[in-house]
Amino acid sequence: MTKTQSADARALGKLTEQERTILHEVGFEGEGRRAASSIVADHEVRLAVSHDAGVEIMPLAQALRTYDFVQDLMFNLVDPGENEHTAMVAEHMHDPLGVFLWVKPGAKLKLPLQTFTLLETPQARQFTHDVTLIGEGAEVERISGAAVPSSVHKGRHISVSETYQCAGSICKTTTVEQWGPAMEVYSYGFSKMEKGSSCSSTSLMMSSIAHHADRSWSILEEDASSVAQSIVFAPAGTERLISTETRLTRAGAKSEDVTRMVSAGGRIVNEALLVGEAAGTQGFLGCDGLKLNDTGEICAVPSLVAKAEGSQLSHEASVGMIDGDKLDYLMASGLEEDAARDLIVQGFLSLEEDSLPPRLRSRVAEMISRAKSGGM
Amino acid sequence: MLEIRNLSVNVGDKRILDDIDMVVPEGELHVLLGPNGSGKSSLLASIMGLPPFEVVAGDILFDGKSLQGLNIRERAALGMGLGFQRPPNLDGVSVSSFAQALAAEEVLAREAEALDLADFVRRDMNVGFSGGEIKRWEVLKLILQDPRLMLFDEPESGVDLEHVRAIGKAIGRITSTPDRRGRPRSGLVITHTGLILKSVDADLGYILKNGRLLHSGEPRAIFSHIQTHGYTVPEAG
Repeated sequence: MTKTQSADARALGKLTEQERTILHEVGFEGEGRRAASSIVADHEVRLAVSHDAGVEIMPLAQALRTYDFVQDLMFNLVDPGENEHTAMVAEHMHDPLGVFLWVKPGAKLKLPLQTFTLLETPQARQFTHDVTLIGEGAEVERISGAAVPSSVHKGRHISVSETYQCAGSICKTTTVEQWGPAMEVYSYGFSKMEKGSSCSSTSLMMSSIAHHADRSWSILEEDASSVAQSIVFAPAGTERLISTETRLTRAGAKSEDVTRMVSAGGRIVNEALLVGEAAGTQGFLGCDGLKLNDTGEICAVPSLVAKAEGSQLSHEASVGMIDGDKLDYLMASGLEEDAARDLIVQGFLSLEEDSLPPRLRSRVAEMISRAKSGGM
Repeated sequence: MLEIRNLSVNVGDKRILDDIDMVVPEGELHVLLGPNGSGKSSLLASIMGLPPFEVVAGDILFDGKSLQGLNIRERAALGMGLGFQRPPNLDGVSVSSFAQALAAEEVLAREAEALDLADFVRRDMNVGFSGGEIKRWEVLKLILQDPRLMLFDEPESGVDLEHVRAIGKAIGRITSTPDRRGRPRSGLVITHTGLILKSVDADLGYILKNGRLLHSGEPRAIFSHIQTHGYTVPEAG
């Protein structure tokens, strides 16, 4: 057993079999497959371990004591008084629950790092605050997720994350959330991308949840680029409110944000704002929705604000039911109606795109299939 | 295999097809010629059960059983398939994922090359296909589906001559080859140009005009007649 594997084994020893199974569903891997890992479970940082000298990961409370500069990063991109939820998180500023992740300048991580949140106690209240610093020229792939055991239906989770991408850094993220069906979740993400940095992100919001408000703000400086795709699903009884605001503040900043929403009876509201504050900026918003039945609602509201001449912004938005002609065509071609619907929905979500790991692709397809047949 | 008896079809209150009689026996390939707007595509859509066509009189039988009340999927499950003239774009649905859904990936790998479609497997179905590519794909799609009755809606329109030959050869080959369970197939091709007859041997031809069948007979003789006299009834003898 190598030194890394040994450290992994010790870290994994802190997880129960059930926890490992739940986390695996949202992307968790162990045994030398990750550069660093963190798990926040209920009200403690259960695991924070790094196997790569290029990355440090530790409880945020510990980071505040270890590094002076961390206090300057905390509540720097957002004011604690932004809203009632950020204020609640700020009440724990002296002893915050969450992790500090620092990818050192120039580090090129060979393995992805992973950060997860677990809520294991029914009716629990969880307030987390994560701070991420990706150093100049660093390259990293991050997999993150949130999950609950099947026994947890109700609970409340509020999270604030602040991410700093320094100049020239490259980050690829995949986020999968799987909360309980009667939970309330409020997620607030703030990020600042410095000159020449780039980020490619994929977000999956698939499971049943009573209410999920997911809000993010991004600032892109000179030549920074961001490509984001989100897949949002709302079975009956689910409400998802998504709000994004992207500001292209310097020349060369580029952003492409595509959200594909599927409602099988649930409600999805997606409000996306793209602001071009400088000449030579480019941005695109795509908000497409597909309703699988007559109930539920999808509301897509893309907004563009060009504040400077030479800022090129565009958007497209569509919401509709499955096209009857497509369904007829596939059924006339030999497919059962359910199989034809699945194929159309998977096509709508672009699940064949290489950006989504195959395991997650098949999981999304399976969840939609189950939801359509009333299994969720 | 396919029997059409005194069939009349409406769209809303408008009569589209009137008193059609036609029999396509097992193992035979028939060709229906007619001008644009004569009701050819409507006939194939009515056989397949596609909206908005409503059978108001007569009947369509497949293997001796009426298709009345059967939906599209049920008709396909009986062994019927349609090569569409204008298929819808299926964004995000690749040819290979469709073949996978039909459990026909091996057939796709084997047959795509004959229709010059070997590099199509990762493309989305019908998205950005040229007119000729759509026609070749629709034939390949039927090969993947493996129906016993193959209906072809204008398979050569918009196709260059070289590919008309490839499509004709493919239609001739697949309709004369038993399905994967060894049962004989039949085919019905509709065309307004008749060009496909240069590369496929049909057993019987028809002329359809204004929703009515005017004539049936030897396909190439009908094609020659149309070229000189238009879509009229050939004189006896």
